[in-house]
Amino acid sequence: MTLPAFELVEPRTLSEALRALHESPGAAPIAGGTNLLVDLRGRRRAEERLIDIGSLEELRGISLETGWVRVGAGTTIAEISRDRRIIEHGAPLASAARTFAAPAIRNRATIGGNLIDASPAADSAPPLLALDAHIELRSIRGKRLLPIDEFFVGLRRTARRPDELLTAVCWPLPAGRSAYRKIGRRKADAISVVSAAVRIVRDEAGVCRTARIALGAVAPIPVRAREAEGALIGHRLSEEAVAAAAGFARETAQPIDDIRGSAGYRRRVVGVVVRRLLEEIGERGNDE
Amino acid sequence: MSERTIRLHVNGRWRELNAASNRTLLEALRELGYTDVKSGCEKGDCGACAVLLDGQLVNSCLVLARQADGRSVTTVRGLGTIDDPNPIQTAFADTGAVQCGYCTPGMILAAKALLDACPDPTDDEIREALSGNLCRCTGYGQIIEAVRLAARRGHGAGEGGRDED
Amino acid sequence: MRIEPNPFPERHLPALRQIGRPLRRVDALAKAVGATVFAADDRMPEMLHAKVFRSPVPSARIVGLDVSAAKSVPGVVCVLTGRDLPDARLATDMPGQTGREQRVGSDAPVLATDIVRFHGEPIALVAAETVEAAERALERIDLELEERPGVFDPRAALAPGAPRVYGDDNVVARWTIRKGDLELGMSRADRIVERTYRVPFVEHAYLEPEAGTAWVDEQGVVNIRVATQVVEHFRTVARAVGLPQNRVRIRGTMVGGGFGSKEDVTVEIFLALLARATGRPVQLVYTREESFLASAKRHPFTITHRTGVTADGRITAARIEMLADAGAHPYLTPYVLLYATGMATGPYRIDHLHVDSVAAATNQPFTSAFRGFGGPQAAFAYESQMDEIADALGMDPIEVRRINYLRTGDSTGTGQAVRSAAWLEETATRAAAALGDREANGPQRRIGRGIASYLQSYGRIMWFHDTSRAWVGVEQDGTVVIRCGVPDIGAGQSNSLCQIAAEVLGVPLERTTIHAADSAVTPLAGTSTATRQLYMSGNAVLEAARVVRESLVKEAAAVWGIDPDLVDLVDGAAVVRGRADRRIPLEVLVPQCAAAGRPLAHLAQFNAPFSDGIDPETGQGEIWPDFTFGAHAVEVAVDPETGEVEIRRSVACHDVGRAINPAAVRGQIAGGSHQGFGYALMEEYVLAGGITRTPTLAEYLIPTSCDYPETEVIILESGTGVGPFGAKGIGEPALTPAAPAVANAVADAIGIRIFDLPITPEKVLAALDRRSSAAEGGGR
Repeated sequence: MTLPAFELVEPRTLSEALRALHESPGAAPIAGGTNLLVDLRGRRRAEERLIDIGSLEELRGISLETGWVRVGAGTTIAEISRDRRIIEHGAPLASAARTFAAPAIRNRATIGGNLIDASPAADSAPPLLALDAHIELRSIRGKRLLPIDEFFVGLRRTARRPDELLTAVCWPLPAGRSAYRKIGRRKADAISVVSAAVRIVRDEAGVCRTARIALGAVAPIPVRAREAEGALIGHRLSEEAVAAAAGFARETAQPIDDIRGSAGYRRRVVGVVVRRLLEEIGERGNDE
Repeated sequence: MSERTIRLHVNGRWRELNAASNRTLLEALRELGYTDVKSGCEKGDCGACAVLLDGQLVNSCLVLARQADGRSVTTVRGLGTIDDPNPIQTAFADTGAVQCGYCTPGMILAAKALLDACPDPTDDEIREALSGNLCRCTGYGQIIEAVRLAARRGHGAGEGGRDED
Repeated sequence: MRIEPNPFPERHLPALRQIGRPLRRVDALAKAVGATVFAADDRMPEMLHAKVFRSPVPSARIVGLDVSAAKSVPGVVCVLTGRDLPDARLATDMPGQTGREQRVGSDAPVLATDIVRFHGEPIALVAAETVEAAERALERIDLELEERPGVFDPRAALAPGAPRVYGDDNVVARWTIRKGDLELGMSRADRIVERTYRVPFVEHAYLEPEAGTAWVDEQGVVNIRVATQVVEHFRTVARAVGLPQNRVRIRGTMVGGGFGSKEDVTVEIFLALLARATGRPVQLVYTREESFLASAKRHPFTITHRTGVTADGRITAARIEMLADAGAHPYLTPYVLLYATGMATGPYRIDHLHVDSVAAATNQPFTSAFRGFGGPQAAFAYESQMDEIADALGMDPIEVRRINYLRTGDSTGTGQAVRSAAWLEETATRAAAALGDREANGPQRRIGRGIASYLQSYGRIMWFHDTSRAWVGVEQDGTVVIRCGVPDIGAGQSNSLCQIAAEVLGVPLERTTIHAADSAVTPLAGTSTATRQLYMSGNAVLEAARVVRESLVKEAAAVWGIDPDLVDLVDGAAVVRGRADRRIPLEVLVPQCAAAGRPLAHLAQFNAPFSDGIDPETGQGEIWPDFTFGAHAVEVAVDPETGEVEIRRSVACHDVGRAINPAAVRGQIAGGSHQGFGYALMEEYVLAGGITRTPTLAEYLIPTSCDYPETEVIILESGTGVGPFGAKGIGEPALTPAAPAVANAVADAIGIRIFDLPITPEKVLAALDRRSSAAEGGGR
């Protein structure tokens, strides 16, 4: 089936793109197009104008700035999966990138696109939640930085204004240890049934000082399991503390039934995944 | 909806075409005569349409033709011909990795992308590199063997085939 | 992969030169360099693009259909509805291929005019200058429907008062077996084990969506280039469009996977109608979503086994009930049901047997052929049942099987004697042994092992009076030409014929060329279905090549003045056995034969044994020419907290009679195993109210390269098959035991059985929960 008719605007710079978007707030930015083109073809979306931002150099690039990691929104998932800086300073994101869809998709899909698509199962979201990431949004009016947990506002809805582009995502150099896991209905190229990213910072005594537990595919938006996190603070990663955290994580989940899994299965398994990630971290030392 | 002329460097040869904004690279390539690029699902689920875009494996059904303007595309014909096949193509033919042949162009290009980046891959690396290319006939075993064989034989890294069209 | 030495050395297989070697297939390199032209690859001047307008609902009456707006879309050249085709009927039956009568009630409409019976049923056809114009035309078709209550379950379809989909009572087919004395047999049992098994709709999911191009040539013949398993559909097309049979030509392309779903008519009639109506070439290529909607599915079955066994493991009697979902139109349902019925008992000797099978029509996708054709469904049930029996008796699963295996000379459930080797124990023990040491359980893994034996027919139902033809000739330079109607659907059908001819004529495989799958110019070889091509066309080629060989041998013998028995053909020359100095190359010998008026080409016909059917009340009689036997063994690891099942080891051991090309045999077994694993663990074409919830390859998941390990393949060669050189068939048999082996392994791992496929993680957790609460409640 062919794509519907649309106009394709091809700006050469970021400011041209922002201007074009300002002039047509109903236009959809397109980079890798791996979700957008599928939705257009399937007539789930109907934008008549697309703005091609896929080759804007200003949206590419990974950098370490004072105390922060910054990833341009146009960075592909493949680039993220093999970048040494992200493997070292954004481990759960690198993990998620390695198991994201399939190689040919990873070469085109961008982190900006994955976040904007705002699927409840977006694989980059739980890791970024665990990393306390911020989302950089730009328009012709200027730039703003939004904490990621304010970015997802509802099912497939973000806080991006119609004339804004998501231009980068950044996070402070993380402390502690992290882990990520997704469960899918097959071993590769599968939308997550549940996913989770966990980051724990412990002191020399092994007591948790910071805990981040982020869940995917079990709620309308990617969520942090804050009660589960709170249950770990001040405790070591003992069997009881971990089990309690997993229990709270299960309760945070508000999954639905769909073709990939039932709500009951998701709730049950997210608890298992969180528990296992915490156990994995518990077996390792205090820092990455 | 506008059309504009774009140029694609396909298998070493510049091709010009008028591309409407909603034309995909898959459609453009097949219109230009590169029917070795197969359509299997038009939404990135199967890998049959995979090509190398500036050396990177992509599903051509999910690239707008205009997004490939000025860039280099390699289809499986660009790797070799019947009379002068690429070692990967020969290996696929030799190990029984080719049954119906429909997944084969995309699969071989995925193998090429892997071997270009990683000339001596493990079996797990091979499986992973091919994980976006579905095959319904072979069960993948002989395909993995073909990639191993191509790696041993020297896979023709960096070689492009001459465009015979 | 290994080919084992014949464990019965007294049955010595003759040494061959080309047969038995894993030669590179004749079609492989062209496919690898992207040269092979598939059905969607044609570009012809003035070619139009077709689209099919399909019903959006599964059950309705068509109240209004207005295509006038569609016709005025710019670029649209032709719109056809059922009203334009008053006499068009689609024959969904297949024995017409063999000259027999079409089954009464087997027709479906080419385009629905009155009643719509399934979601996606074709209603109108469009031909336009571009694909976009055709798509726009579809959007402008005004369809008024009065939805009617549908029925979406075969049991409900059989209940009185159910919405009528087929005939008076929705019964599409019934088969019955009455053998021996069931009551007597059951009375001799020490235990009776009764279980019910269920298998779902499954999608073929070949990589190539249906496609074809048609045009009317300068003789007025409708040519159709199409991906098909059946070139003989030219007769079906002719009937549907109102042409004489010799005015339709099917040119089969290399098929990008069929597995049974390109066995039915797909795009051919639509193309013929549009090509005739427009006078221009027309191409139709299905989208993947359309392929899912438009094509047949594997029959869902509910199968109940009630088996009487003695305490020491012998089966004394069995009662089996089978219910299949025929979907919206009959297609090949009666035969699929027959296969399931005839193989319901599996490879076991059961003297007292009742089988009752029925297939009911529903408003769901029509079901037809899919690799195994009822055999895999039956096997899931009978092999799970064998393990249930072993479990009930506290016996080893292989031991229980061993006690009951058919032996050569024993009869199947329909009283058909097994005449070839039935290497069941041989294959099962080898497969199980090759698993090696069992892995240890771990905190996140429970290890289990399972085995499945099977029987699967090869060759068609014998009362179809199946035949095949092939022409073999040798050119003046000693190269060999084969002309054969065989459709190549990817399993190496055409290569095998080349290898056979190469063997008989003593030439290297590279010196053969095959022209195939053209109904006008290649001798008709019948369908690429039912694991019949190697058997049927292989024997036809064998015979044709032998006649040509005889000519060459006689001429050489005459030249040398010796007995023809002393002449052999080796490496492109006639030689004297045992003498290195006597050699006439074919490029010298062939012109000599020509000058001497000796035949250098031969058209051979091979007939399968013909029978007249089975007894309608007892089901007793011979159905198939022969059976393939084998086994599959797997080791799985089950994660007891997530329910995920991982296949750790897989070994398949089949007696293929004779492996013409071992690499191709291995490929069939490896590929069939993967399809079986998908069937066991991840594939289900999900429907709700007749509408699919798995409309693309993103929802309907098939295995990737990361999902399952390679299957270790052990090939045995009994040489007792009825195919060329004693070959049996392997295409369908490769799949049949894989899913039951996995199901048995999972049951072994978790200590409780799941009775329906696919075995999803959710079902595993639910089963484990049931087991825990049963244990708490006082045991199983």
